[in-house]
Amino acid sequence: MATGSDRSVGYGLVALALSIFTYYTVWVIILPFVNDDHVIHQYFLPRVYALILPILAGVIVLSALGGTIAVILGRPKKQKTS
Amino acid sequence: MFTKLQQWLSAIFLYASFWLSSFYDKLPLTLSDPWKEIIFASPIYFLITFACFSLATIGYRVAIFNDCTEASEELKKEIIEAKKDLEKKGLKIS
Repeated sequence: MATGSDRSVGYGLVALALSIFTYYTVWVIILPFVNDDHVIHQYFLPRVYALILPILAGVIVLSALGGTIAVILGRPKKQKTS
Repeated sequence: MFTKLQQWLSAIFLYASFWLSSFYDKLPLTLSDPWKEIIFASPIYFLITFACFSLATIGYRVAIFNDCTEASEELKKEIIEAKKDLEKKGLKIS
């Protein structure tokens, strides 16, 4: 059996994924059909951000990855002592 | 038969042509504005769905990950047996 902390972290990740998915689905798929003056729009940013934020996050993550790889590969190689 | 790569590529090309024709207003359909917005956002939406699915899979696998105590005991026993056997045959194990 997995330990208690493993289980709570694991199911926490599942819950996080499900809640992000639900929120994003409501934001992108359902909200276009709701009138602009409805109360529910208070709880969501303008819909442009539903596209800008993921793209921004992707750009940041990819450039961080690329930068890390570049730094690691650019290091001078250690001299082999034979 | 089609390989997986061909299946994925044809699905992606089909979807891309559909998305682009919607983007350039070439679809022979009159879609209402909400539908147009949804089609416009759909690539990012699929990306987010895939990310959530991956995250949930990782979380689920972490949650049900087992400690294989029996297998570890068995492996330790087998290591001891193997060491004895090898020492009998004259191999020195430090």
